[in-house]
Amino acid sequence: MSEKDHKVSRRQFLNYSLTGVGGFMAAGITLPLVRFALDPALKVGEETEMVAVAQVNELTNEPKRFDFKVNQVDAWYESEVSRSAWVYEEDGKIVALSPVCTHLGCTVDWDASGDHPNRFFCPCHYGAFEKDGTNVDRTPPTQPLFLYDQEVRNGTLYLGRPRPQV
Amino acid sequence: MKWQIKEIDIYLQAKEYVDTAIIPLIPISWGNDIKSTVQMGEFIHLISDELERQFKGRVFQFPPYTYLKTEKLEERLIKMNEWHEHLKDSGFHHIIYLTSDVDWKQIESDLNDTLLWVPSIPLEHLDQKYKVETLSNQIKQMIPILTNKWQKNENETN
Repeated sequence: MSEKDHKVSRRQFLNYSLTGVGGFMAAGITLPLVRFALDPALKVGEETEMVAVAQVNELTNEPKRFDFKVNQVDAWYESEVSRSAWVYEEDGKIVALSPVCTHLGCTVDWDASGDHPNRFFCPCHYGAFEKDGTNVDRTPPTQPLFLYDQEVRNGTLYLGRPRPQV
Repeated sequence: MKWQIKEIDIYLQAKEYVDTAIIPLIPISWGNDIKSTVQMGEFIHLISDELERQFKGRVFQFPPYTYLKTEKLEERLIKMNEWHEHLKDSGFHHIIYLTSDVDWKQIESDLNDTLLWVPSIPLEHLDQKYKVETLSNQIKQMIPILTNKWQKNENETN
């Protein structure tokens, strides 16, 4: 049998197999790289996990401030963010309000102003909220304080993300 | 508000509510006191972040002004007065400098604005819980300085 009888010459065969193997090797290296680069961006809308904030037996009728940290992932950038909550118990129900003023985002304080006793008060532009978070008329905020998602497990209060009260 | 594009959008819509600038003053030196210098920087960074969180809607947190520790006080003063002119013209009624560097105390009376000098606390060996507590105690003492300043200003204009 001579060389000419073959459909694929030795040279062609070597060419094909080398390109094929080379291609696989290149893909093996680049594909994971591409995936790593895109991965954080593909994970969208990841739920903030629930964080232990307080023991239920610490809670009273008077709003108390609790500080905690949550991990926030913003595409490539992961950071620890401080959050606070005003928590109280009324008629066996736990209420956890976000202290972020709905006007421009300052932190509100409980019962801090003489003009607004037993209300949440924002020192920046004198916004006020009732105990249940409702905004007081004729102060700058236009919507109530946000309410945290909450869960009680074994006497511990866990909070999730703050949501608008509608 | 922070030095970020999305916060600037909010600022542009709510300009009339934001009248206070916070400028951290952070020294740099690369000598024997490198550790204490870095500690000052980190501490002031934490404090200014926390103040910004507290007063987000009325306060703008500027990027820190960094300078070599060897920079002369007269030169610093000239620069700060330039910042003062620029920010006053841009609608900031209150300008607050935040620093752990005690040198500024010597020229405090020559500055046109409020200098908040906070001695830095070594936080690195503390537990997370105590860290947060220590910091929030510091902040608690600084809050009235700002709110009183605002109140005084409003009483004057009324």
